[in-house]
Amino acid sequence: MSRTALASVLGLALFLATLPTQAHHSFSAQFDAAKPLKMTGTVTSVEWQNPHSWFYLDVKDETGAVTNWGFELASPNLLLRKGWTRTTLEVGDVVTVEGFHAHDDSNTANARVIVLASTGKTLLGGSSQGSTP
Amino acid sequence: MRAVVLCGLVLAIAAAPAQAQWERVRDSSLKWSRDGTPNLLAPPPRVNGKPDLSGVWAADGEPLPPGIESIEGDLHFPRHMINIAADIPPEAVPLQPWAAELLQKRAGVESPSAFCKPTGVPGVNAIVLPYKIVQTPRLLLVLYEENTVFRQIFLDGRKPVENPEPRYMGYSTGRWEGDELVVDTVALTKDSWLDGMGHPHSEQLHVIERFRRPVAGHLEIETVIDDPGAYTARLTYTVKATLVPEDDLLEYFCSENEKDSAHYR
Repeated sequence: MSRTALASVLGLALFLATLPTQAHHSFSAQFDAAKPLKMTGTVTSVEWQNPHSWFYLDVKDETGAVTNWGFELASPNLLLRKGWTRTTLEVGDVVTVEGFHAHDDSNTANARVIVLASTGKTLLGGSSQGSTP
Repeated sequence: MRAVVLCGLVLAIAAAPAQAQWERVRDSSLKWSRDGTPNLLAPPPRVNGKPDLSGVWAADGEPLPPGIESIEGDLHFPRHMINIAADIPPEAVPLQPWAAELLQKRAGVESPSAFCKPTGVPGVNAIVLPYKIVQTPRLLLVLYEENTVFRQIFLDGRKPVENPEPRYMGYSTGRWEGDELVVDTVALTKDSWLDGMGHPHSEQLHVIERFRRPVAGHLEIETVIDDPGAYTARLTYTVKATLVPEDDLLEYFCSENEKDSAHYR
């Protein structure tokens, strides 16, 4: 491969890493694919708003200390089209969440898997936020 | 393979469950079978002797390359949303030197949409969010879900605007050539990016879109980037979209709860 062609490919990879997604920001702007996390907690609030839905969890650590975490989802428009409603996740629900931590190590993450403790129902499954609850 | 992927996306959208919160109404311009399947390959509906482009459309998507994450997981993305020059080798893109340099500087930089700026014409035809075309004899309206914006394409024979004030949606005039609607758009602000990679343009940009509806369920927008201020030759690509026959637009204001940009690295 010529140096120019190689540079083009490398350049494209860099561009792709920062692709905007659903008319908003890229994954890599905020989250780190090398920092997966999994935690269980109680939903304290849900923001069913564009450009991204968010929900917040109180998570208790082994010492009993409680920390509030925020999890970013797709837009409510996308989630609606996949069968969610604004009450799919409600304050007081206990859920286990898998996702990716923010670069800045704030208590925020991108959610990929959400399992409702009371029913075992998977609200988000696999790597997709497009799965139906 | 691509056709399979696109069909899968269409089926996934069409199969969304009925408990969603908004009214799902079938597009009455289509023929529906008894089992509730629309015939997307039927001839397009016509009005006043021309194809009727009206309907809710979503640009066809495909999986992201391996190793690239998105907030929405494995959602599919239109290829020209990422790169308007996706169909030609990178070295063949006819950028002027200043534009090539600017494109390189945008690598790793969040696009304007990450700060809730409108995508603008022509990029907004190729994003994930759908749009609705409303065709009348003298005016074509395109209602884009992104930021809940409208676009007017004047079909009344007027000339393109003189001394244009550059804007995100520009100023569009159209005319029919056979079964194709040919749309000229000028007055486009250089603040917009042509795609997610950041292909730039100047305010000399003239976009030519040829809208075709070859069958009821599919729309093609052949798009020509004619910009002697930033490119050494015209660049052409075709965005394909599929009718979303049981969906409608939803409100989408990016500024409603934008809290991410303060944390971009």
